[in-house]
Amino acid sequence: MMSIRGLLPWFVVGALFVVSFVATTAGADVVELSNGRKYEGKVISQDDKYIEFEMELRGRRYSRRFSISVVHAVTRDGRREVITPGTGGGSTPATSSGAGTRPGTTPGTDQRRTKAQVDSLIRQIGTTEPDWWKSTPLDYPRTLDLNWPMPPPRGWNSQRNVGQYVWDVINPNPNRWKSGVRLMHHLLMKHQDSPQRRQRAMRELGRMYHDLLQDYPRAAFWWRQADVENDRYYRGGVHLAECYWKMGSKAMAVELLGRLPGHYSKIKLYADMGETDRAIELTEAYANARGGAADIALLHGGDAYRVVGRYKEAIDCYTRLVRLPPTAEAAKRIQRNKQRARVNIEAIRQFELLDLSRVPDATYRATSQGYAGPVQVEVDVESGRITAVRVTKHQEKQFYSAITDTTRKIVAKQGVKGVDATSSATITSEAIINATGRALADGMQ
Amino acid sequence: MQFNWFLPSGSQGSLRRWLRVLGPTWGASPLRRGIQTVSFLVFGWLFLYVCWPYTAEPKPPAPPAVWDNWQPLDVDAETGVAVVVVDDPPENPPAPEVIVTVVDHGAPESRDRGQFRVVVADGSELTLKPVRMDNPDRFDEMSMSFGPWSLSEIKAPEWPSHHADELAARERLSADVFLALDPLVSISAALASRTWLWSLSFAGVMLAVAILIPRCFCGYLCPLGTLIDLFDWSLGRRVTRFRISGAGWCVHLKYYVLVAVLVSASLGVVLTGFVAAIPVLTRAAQFLLAPLQIGLLRQWHQVPPIHAGQFVSIGLFLAVLFLGLMRPRFWCRYVCPTGAMFSVASLLRLTQRKVDATCIQCGKCAESCPFDAVTADFETRTVDCASCQTCGGVCAPGAIRFVSRWSRVDRGEKGAGEGAMGGLSALAKAPEDKGGRRSFLAVTIGGAAAAVGGLAATATVRVFGARLDQPGVLLPVRPPGSVPEALFLQRCIRCGQCFKVCPNNVLQPLGFEQGLEGLWTPEVVADWSGCEPSCNNCGQVCPTEAIRALPLEEKRAARMALAVVNERTCLPHADKADCRLCFDDCADAGYHAIEFETRHTKRDTKGKRIEGSGYDAPKVIADRCVGCGICQMRCYKINVVKEGLLQASAVRIEAGHDKEDRYVDQSYVQLREEEAKRKEAARKKRVGDDAETGDYWSESLEKKLKEGEGQ
Repeated sequence: MMSIRGLLPWFVVGALFVVSFVATTAGADVVELSNGRKYEGKVISQDDKYIEFEMELRGRRYSRRFSISVVHAVTRDGRREVITPGTGGGSTPATSSGAGTRPGTTPGTDQRRTKAQVDSLIRQIGTTEPDWWKSTPLDYPRTLDLNWPMPPPRGWNSQRNVGQYVWDVINPNPNRWKSGVRLMHHLLMKHQDSPQRRQRAMRELGRMYHDLLQDYPRAAFWWRQADVENDRYYRGGVHLAECYWKMGSKAMAVELLGRLPGHYSKIKLYADMGETDRAIELTEAYANARGGAADIALLHGGDAYRVVGRYKEAIDCYTRLVRLPPTAEAAKRIQRNKQRARVNIEAIRQFELLDLSRVPDATYRATSQGYAGPVQVEVDVESGRITAVRVTKHQEKQFYSAITDTTRKIVAKQGVKGVDATSSATITSEAIINATGRALADGMQ
Repeated sequence: MQFNWFLPSGSQGSLRRWLRVLGPTWGASPLRRGIQTVSFLVFGWLFLYVCWPYTAEPKPPAPPAVWDNWQPLDVDAETGVAVVVVDDPPENPPAPEVIVTVVDHGAPESRDRGQFRVVVADGSELTLKPVRMDNPDRFDEMSMSFGPWSLSEIKAPEWPSHHADELAARERLSADVFLALDPLVSISAALASRTWLWSLSFAGVMLAVAILIPRCFCGYLCPLGTLIDLFDWSLGRRVTRFRISGAGWCVHLKYYVLVAVLVSASLGVVLTGFVAAIPVLTRAAQFLLAPLQIGLLRQWHQVPPIHAGQFVSIGLFLAVLFLGLMRPRFWCRYVCPTGAMFSVASLLRLTQRKVDATCIQCGKCAESCPFDAVTADFETRTVDCASCQTCGGVCAPGAIRFVSRWSRVDRGEKGAGEGAMGGLSALAKAPEDKGGRRSFLAVTIGGAAAAVGGLAATATVRVFGARLDQPGVLLPVRPPGSVPEALFLQRCIRCGQCFKVCPNNVLQPLGFEQGLEGLWTPEVVADWSGCEPSCNNCGQVCPTEAIRALPLEEKRAARMALAVVNERTCLPHADKADCRLCFDDCADAGYHAIEFETRHTKRDTKGKRIEGSGYDAPKVIADRCVGCGICQMRCYKINVVKEGLLQASAVRIEAGHDKEDRYVDQSYVQLREEEAKRKEAARKKRVGDDAETGDYWSESLEKKLKEGEGQ
């Protein structure tokens, strides 16, 4: 026989359920998040870091812990308390990423983290080792001189001199980057009592985490340790600003850039952050100045126009670079940058500016470098439509799939933009895409 | 017991009439012609279809595993670390270290939240950590999301296997089955290399069948024989000016050829490829038919160039055919050493053709016999009879029977000589001979001459041979999985099958570069093309294990050569231009055996390195390079042929000691593993105590750095 005692817990549970149900519907707490969303439920606890919150959604009960940083306001027992002012709620709702972003810029909104948040993140992540640390063994050539003398001995020996080893062997090989970071950390530990050497090691750590691994909090951490903001002779400052921006604080980045001495590498960061006018201003300054960085400035300037969709101006900028008079100094670098500019001009013409309605009916032909030689493509255009793409000449041996697959995709997409290369036939496929783009771009009036 | 399957001459009916339309031999022994046809078609099917490597397409990548309906429990907006739960735990939940893409289905837009690594997996609860720290606004979005999220696994691309898979799927009959059935192929290769070969068992079975049905290989199966039949039917019978009546001097030639081949094989020189039936045919098909197939079905520029060695082979084959102008099946009757082998086996025959007393001596049987196996008194020259049974079908009184060797067939007085025909003297008995002392003398002298001939041939090949013991000789790059060079030359019977199955003709026949010993052996021609990572075909079709039939994972680990960069010509090394063709192709192929090293960095007046100066120059990592030659192919095609910047590819694959691993039966995967262990031990020794660097970050370090700031 079931006693009344046995049923008692069920009564309690039932009563609690009714109470909580009433609580959620009638006197529910409200959490307003910084993205403008509101949730009704019950605040379980609240401290200076988190709010424990319970709610019902689509028939399910959830218990969630919101970080204070994402909570705009809380209404408990009818009383509304604004926790992070001005970030959402009643004011203009902060857009989620995607909306309102300019093409090419990754983080869209201006300010997503406060200085305090970024600082704490840098500290928190910067002092912990990365995931891959334990699985990356320390390794370096037997001949490497870990005493790391500065300046290195005369002559070039990448198997003995640390700086030259990093430059020659670590930097160009992605599979050695993590191992390179380990080596540099090892050198920091080894030379922690030598101010000059540990300074060098920390700068290098910052550079490696930033340039090679794109681990921005750790890069920022080591650069801060090395105090690069106040180092007039080291360029790391601009990259530190980039770390701030990537981590969510454009304000910090802009503030730091303002303090740093002028450098053409600022152009790229301003452009990426959407500060096109500032980027162009700097471009003009460097393009007209003597000092030999006009090529870099114009390349970045062209990119700055390109990311915001100002293609005509971008082409003008790249064209100015291509027409720069040859100089003896840094001739190789200028050659490379000119080549990049040419590639970019061509890409803009083929991908961004292509307007099929302005291509007269005809068959167009162009070639591009394939796997084993040139690939020639013929494109038929009829009343503003690509009706056929044919590979007419090629010397490819394998990867035949690309010849039918890629041409079919181009016709389906009515253009080369967004046509992805046939897997495992990438080079042939890209050659077909390039040649088609070139043929159409050349035919456009 | 009777073994007759000819159609008796007297039999009537529509079938017989219909077969007569096809030809008298079809009418006489339709089963034999039928089997010949099927066998010939099977040979063509194996050669043209099974060994055609150009229809294999890479498999599309397998769709990633997707786990749906995860609810976020806790997301740290700072670090992006997320704890997610699911109501119904999936059967195979994501394991720790798996990398997933998180898609937030609760969000109105921008649902892709990037890549996360699973750090803790506990049944229905997972802890995810972002792989990258950039774009942190997504963490904010995630911390405000109530899901559901789906997690899709990001897998490393699998090693492609389409070529290996396709051959395996098509090979319902081993592509080299005819070569394996040719007993001279495996016996001579086994004799020369003094090793057991799997194809010996095939040869054994074939010889056993040939004891039951004498020389049935020649009469029924041999596609070369069938081709010769076709040649004789279409051309041979129309051209009569070269016809000879008696066989004369050449009547025992095939035995002498056989003795010569076996003598030289026992001395380690394989001449089989020159004379054995199936290699002669497969090579001819490879050099005549395969280029047509590639040219017609693909493109003519893909047909590899032809050289003197191939002309010799083609000439040899044409000679085999045109011998038929002297007498039908001249090659099979008098020259073919494979046939000779079956003739010898016929000495142990269990069945044979016998003639009974009803014989009216019309001579039709002798007329119809393509193997010249009917004596003047219409008895059987047993070692020559290929059991085709055509004679049985044309015999009007039905006097011919195929019966057990010991069964008594009454032929009256004429059958008396039969007993004396047994034994070795049967081999020596020329059609005109009556047996006895003369023929014994002939076989002795001929045999001795053949042995001397074999010795002479061996000596010639050795003199113009590979000379492996001498320094500086040419060492061709052999197919992956080739046994050591000396053994390779003893096992390779130059059949040419490996060329046929090789996509893009990476393997091409050597000419006389390695002397006579290397003629028609396969060489990796990396200027022409590189060895396809998904292919292990050459080893699968090699009948004599000169190339081991490696599984794909073993082939991937087998070093056939080592790529060597010529630093005087390579564009970045020579301070001439940027070039990363070899690097990219090696990475695409999945070997990652080429690294960069920056060279020719310029320094400014203060000694500082100039950013962007210098070139990234390729460096081969020896223990990752398998010598596939893809790098060389690309450098040659672009830098030499297209751009004209170089005279020869600046990266070339080279064979030789320390550059290739060639073992008879060792596992290459195991070899690589041991190598990796040795390398790790060497690293530990090199780094020594340094490996224990201590903490990544510590209070003491922090204190020290703070003090430094104060200074």
